[in-house]
Amino acid sequence: MSGEKRSDNRLTDTGRFTGVLFPAFFYTAVVLLVLGSCWLFLSNAGELFPKKLAGFHDMDLWRRTGRAGLFAGGFWKDSVFWRSLNVSFVTSTLTAVIAAIVGIPAAYALSRFRIPGRSVIDILFSSVIVLPASSVGLCLIITCQYGIVRKIQDALNVHFAHSVFPGIIMAQLVLSLAMGLSAWKAAFDRVNPRFEHVARSLGSSRWRAFLTVTLPLSRTGLVAGFILAWTRAMAEFGAVLLFCGTFSELPLSHFSPLLKNMHLHQADILPVAMWTAIEYGEVEYGIGIAFALVMISSISIYSIHRMGGKGYVW
Amino acid sequence: MCGEIMIQIEKLTVRLGEFNIRDINLRIGEGEYVVILGPTGAGKSVLLECIAGICIPDSGTVRLRGRDVTRYNPEKRNIGYVPQDYALFPNMTVRQNIGYGLKTRKIPASDIQANVSAMMEQLGITHLEKRLPLKLSGGEKQRAALGRALITEPDILLLDEPLSALDENLRSQLAGELRRIQQRLNRSFLHVCHNFDEAAMVADRIAIMRQGSIEQTGTISEILTKPSSLFIAEFTRTLNFHQGTAETVPGGCRIKTAAGQIIHSAETSAVGPVTFGIRPEELFLTNDDNGSSGVNNLTARVARVLFRPSSLEVELDAGFPLIACHPRNGEFYRKVGEGDVLRVFFRPEAVMVFPGCRGGAG
Repeated sequence: MSGEKRSDNRLTDTGRFTGVLFPAFFYTAVVLLVLGSCWLFLSNAGELFPKKLAGFHDMDLWRRTGRAGLFAGGFWKDSVFWRSLNVSFVTSTLTAVIAAIVGIPAAYALSRFRIPGRSVIDILFSSVIVLPASSVGLCLIITCQYGIVRKIQDALNVHFAHSVFPGIIMAQLVLSLAMGLSAWKAAFDRVNPRFEHVARSLGSSRWRAFLTVTLPLSRTGLVAGFILAWTRAMAEFGAVLLFCGTFSELPLSHFSPLLKNMHLHQADILPVAMWTAIEYGEVEYGIGIAFALVMISSISIYSIHRMGGKGYVW
Repeated sequence: MCGEIMIQIEKLTVRLGEFNIRDINLRIGEGEYVVILGPTGAGKSVLLECIAGICIPDSGTVRLRGRDVTRYNPEKRNIGYVPQDYALFPNMTVRQNIGYGLKTRKIPASDIQANVSAMMEQLGITHLEKRLPLKLSGGEKQRAALGRALITEPDILLLDEPLSALDENLRSQLAGELRRIQQRLNRSFLHVCHNFDEAAMVADRIAIMRQGSIEQTGTISEILTKPSSLFIAEFTRTLNFHQGTAETVPGGCRIKTAAGQIIHSAETSAVGPVTFGIRPEELFLTNDDNGSSGVNNLTARVARVLFRPSSLEVELDAGFPLIACHPRNGEFYRKVGEGDVLRVFFRPEAVMVFPGCRGGAG
């Protein structure tokens, strides 16, 4: 018994060493790397990219709007950037919430029940993850712009394509849901179904067993899945571009009062805004947005990994 | 079987693809400890899941105190279930784990606390109340899981290989403890395992299962002395299997082995090619030529002597190989050595005879 205690103490000492020193080295290295990269990027952006880009007719238009003079390091001063961030944030959050509402029960069912065709559903969603996003956008156009779906939209005077709601959300949802579903299913798979069996043998209904045992045990994985779904929605480009196009130059009459009040009009989601900026010759501005996207994705993935440290590995 | 019939299983059948559980019939009385014993893959755990309500059988019935519960959800059955890994909820302390079942029954919080404290005291785990399952040893986990299952006063407690993950010393210690708890609470226990020693330590009755069906049910003594099949004889560690040809004689049969020896058995129905076996502890050895006379008295040379912790295992050559096993006491057994020529004798009742030939026996 005393031997066991000594052994435990040794383990604790080792744990203290790895638990304090190793993260300290790691965080210092990461902070230095990020600071160094930012300094290099901001100081050299002006030299790296020439201000005058011959051959782009629309450059004059963009210069007139007063944004062409901004270099990458100053993108955060631009109101359009913040509107784009707003659109991205609102649509991604809505998409992730819808994906969670649909995906978490579906993931639970796929993890726990013998559903006929379960492997087909699994393969379908897994293949969506590796599908080019632009083909998802094309599929959405074909589905929504023709046939009975189009007729229903016409009858209701609602059009999915080229709309913020539900256009962008539909385009983001496909890949976001596929990604979230895999993560949520993995989270439920990691919880031994025996816990639920025992809870039920002790008098709990299936629902109570889920709420009191499975949900607390899979919570970290579910939150990680939500962040992953949100990040995937935030990064969606191909499907949104093909299904919804760009909004920045559309007339105000195209947007509903709700969208205007939420400041979601005349702005694209960040990945589309980045592409538009580069298309119109504002390469520095596009790189600035890319930098912002990289930071958002990094923070998301970092938070998922932090959760991994507490018992969940995606 | 004692008292009222607590659980009665009739013609239970479960189809699981290529593997099926077929026509299971079993009765367990009130306060009885029954063990379902069988090799891995015999279908023991599936049978337990059917009784618990986790798995729904294709046909047959499960009656609890005479009430048909075959299609009931697990929460409606009042059957306790302790899986192999105990499945203590990792997000709850030992006290919360034990009190979980009472919370579902809408019992006042003060009563729950009092009941949980009493149960923990009874099991000697009061000092563990604030610990999480991750910090418990195997024995502590077992007691916490038992407390959690027993606090709801189930009609029967199902234990799925509760000792298989433990080392041998702890296993025998906890098996004894399981038996004492069962006797103190006078509850019916149905325990599944694949280890005969474990079953023998706790069971009132044993049901031996193989390939989805129960081959024999009985007390330990019945199963050891009268195994209904060659499989059960082998599974309960009967050794010394050999083949021969049997012919009926008054009071039993006479078997002529391939090497020409004549073995007498009390089995009356054996005729033709048979496989016979003798438990090692039924073989008696002596170096006195006049020590025994009559049937089943053979001359053998000691080929090897193995010292086990509690017994002496002697490998013999009597024209065919034999293994004798005895407690390590007495002067004779201390002196026996390799190469010694001894007399081997055994009772005709100790010779188990099974029709047909066993692969590899001889």
